[in-house]
Amino acid sequence: MISVSRGKLALTAKIVLLALISAIFLMLAQSAFAQKEYVIGVFLFAVILLTLFTYLTKKSIPLKFFLPGILLLLAFVVSPILYTVTMSGFNYKTGNIVSKDEAVLQIQNRAFEPDSAGTSFDIKIGTFESKPAILVSDIENKRYFLSTFEKRVPLSNGAVTLNEYLVAQSAPGFSPLPTDQLAAADSTYSGKRFIFKDEYFLSLEGLDVAIVARQTLTYLEQQDVFKNIIDGTIYKDNGRGNYQAGLDSAAILEPGWRAPIWFENYSKLVTDARFRDPLIRVFIWTVVFASATVLTTFALGLLLALALNKPLHGRRIYRSILVLPYAMPSVMSILIWGGMFNSEFGAINALLGTDIAWFQNPNFARTAVIVVNLWLGFPYFYLVSSGALQAIPNELLEAAAIDGANPRQIFRKITMPLLLQILSPLLIASFAFNFNNFNLIYLLTGGGPRNSLDGEIAGATDILISYTYQIAFGSSTQDLGLASAISLIIFILVASISLYGIRKSKVLESFV
Amino acid sequence: MNKWLKQDLWRHIVALTTAIFALFPLYLVIISSFNSTGSLQITSFVPREISWNNYKLLFTSPAIPYLTWMKNSLLVAGSVALISVVIGSASAFAFSRLSFKGRKPGIQLLLLVQMFPAILAISAVYVIMERVQTFAPGIGLGTQGGLVLVYLGGAMGVNIWLLKGFVDSIPKELDEAAKIDGASEVQTFWLIFIPLATPVLAVVTLLSFIGTFNEFILARLFLVDMESRTIAVGLQQFIGGQYSQNWGPFAAGSIIASIPIVIIFLSLQKYIVNGLTAGSVKG
Repeated sequence: MISVSRGKLALTAKIVLLALISAIFLMLAQSAFAQKEYVIGVFLFAVILLTLFTYLTKKSIPLKFFLPGILLLLAFVVSPILYTVTMSGFNYKTGNIVSKDEAVLQIQNRAFEPDSAGTSFDIKIGTFESKPAILVSDIENKRYFLSTFEKRVPLSNGAVTLNEYLVAQSAPGFSPLPTDQLAAADSTYSGKRFIFKDEYFLSLEGLDVAIVARQTLTYLEQQDVFKNIIDGTIYKDNGRGNYQAGLDSAAILEPGWRAPIWFENYSKLVTDARFRDPLIRVFIWTVVFASATVLTTFALGLLLALALNKPLHGRRIYRSILVLPYAMPSVMSILIWGGMFNSEFGAINALLGTDIAWFQNPNFARTAVIVVNLWLGFPYFYLVSSGALQAIPNELLEAAAIDGANPRQIFRKITMPLLLQILSPLLIASFAFNFNNFNLIYLLTGGGPRNSLDGEIAGATDILISYTYQIAFGSSTQDLGLASAISLIIFILVASISLYGIRKSKVLESFV
Repeated sequence: MNKWLKQDLWRHIVALTTAIFALFPLYLVIISSFNSTGSLQITSFVPREISWNNYKLLFTSPAIPYLTWMKNSLLVAGSVALISVVIGSASAFAFSRLSFKGRKPGIQLLLLVQMFPAILAISAVYVIMERVQTFAPGIGLGTQGGLVLVYLGGAMGVNIWLLKGFVDSIPKELDEAAKIDGASEVQTFWLIFIPLATPVLAVVTLLSFIGTFNEFILARLFLVDMESRTIAVGLQQFIGGQYSQNWGPFAAGSIIASIPIVIIFLSLQKYIVNGLTAGSVKG
């Protein structure tokens, strides 16, 4: 009896939950479609269908367990990877961020020039017939009129009230905007075109002045070109996300759009010295940094493991102190080290009695990076080396001793080779991790020192991943296309290294 | 005595020197936090005073909404840890126990996907979440909800992998017995597997918590508002470029934020080392 009612309760709960989830996703999908995000919208619909199918039928039991995990992986890991692949084939950077339709619209909106006299009028903004309107005072000619997006309404001088500067303050049918709403209304008025006469219109400069201007560019939809109305210049789609006049690649219209350029982001990394040289320099430092880190951390960790590999007074205390750097949240530790390396007040200079500008000199900065990473990383190798040392059978060492080997020989011929065999997958994993150790570089040196005045993006301590971040978000030109291309190159490198390591450790076979 | 010198002295020298190296920054940050001037400059390596000034500043100064940051970190890391372990353990159970078409390629694909460092796809995540923001402002760029979702996706690979290793180690006879008694797969999962796995689930939850608590760059990119930042982002932005002025409160803040993590870490050391040798988790 109890079990029946519990079953019913569970079923009801399940249906309510499913209905709720479906409703939420349906709402999200709808608003995604409303914002023209079709891919996301379709994905959300698919999520609803899949969820209902999985939990209302008994077709696939494994799917009941998998679905939430798979959906999260698809949405936030797999799709960003695919999107990265896509972006790497696009000219997708500052100035080429929007879609083509949006770019055409923005070019049209921005393309105007003031009339030859540079006429401007004092205005008041408000509404007329409940539409946005401006009350314009042509003080020189003592003429006043109202202007909306659609029409211009002349006003007789008697109808307007003026202030002491002869600027119209109110007019019949015109309600000025209260001062407290001015800021909020900015987007309704600025950048818009109020009717003036012939091809000229009024455009706001601030909230109380409008200038007389006219359109310079017109979009010819059939040919997909922009034409300059005044001098007749034609701007054509240059195939790389911009409208361009003639062959001059500088004569382009802003903004551009994100356009497919296929493998150009990759090819310019090979052929264009401006991208190739920093990339090679950064790559070399990345390899040096990762190797030096693995070597130093492993050497110190192993030395400690050997030193503490026998009962010793205070071994427990040593052990708990030695793992502290590893237990600390690394973000905090790196920031603390950043303070210690401060050239003016830092503890390192105080301790050494030096006056070194650690982060301004490339070689000192690189040294600092490796020292800090040694601090962060040696406990790891201390822990795993200790474990590995204990895993080496004692009989082996005793047998060697009986055969007359001295301790040094035992270590070099037996302990070390065995240790390396056990630890090599971890050494490789550590190399792969440090290859992408973004936090350390970003938080300690920011990749610097770099000569940003010369427009240099790659700093002396930048590793590939922090260089990529710098390209995508750091500098004034954010090049998401190029950054994606480098990301994928890094992934191929790191994945090869990791797969090699996994094959060595045979993790895959034992797990599958 | 001679034997002791010969055999043990070098061990103590190595251990002691490294211990000093390990403790030095921590010692420094602790004495800085009790220094009333809050200055980065070290006038003496021996503490002269114990002042709680920096700690008081943390909880009173409007320039550092420290408690809010801490709350944000706990909320974000806590929800990511709990949800990802619940969802991850269900997937791990299926990978380990259920037979279905495509199981093996599925595991290999999972291994490959979890090898892709999340940070490599960071521009894509940014652009995607920027778009999500346009239609779902609660879970897009700039929100903690969006950050949690991205973390959850990223945590899936590693967590499923870790938990699968554990499920593999539970004897199959147990769930076969349950099956004979007429339990469905779902019942086996809830009534046999979950109770058995509770300690391991707790460990993985805590590891996941530490990992998320430590995450910096996604949080930095997502959480722009002062009030929405996590402790890592908040303190980094607070100290960024202002080492000399903000050092004292920063030192105090980083100590308070680190203590719980260090405690969790030390109490889980055994599991973490095991996890390390399996080639996963932090490191």
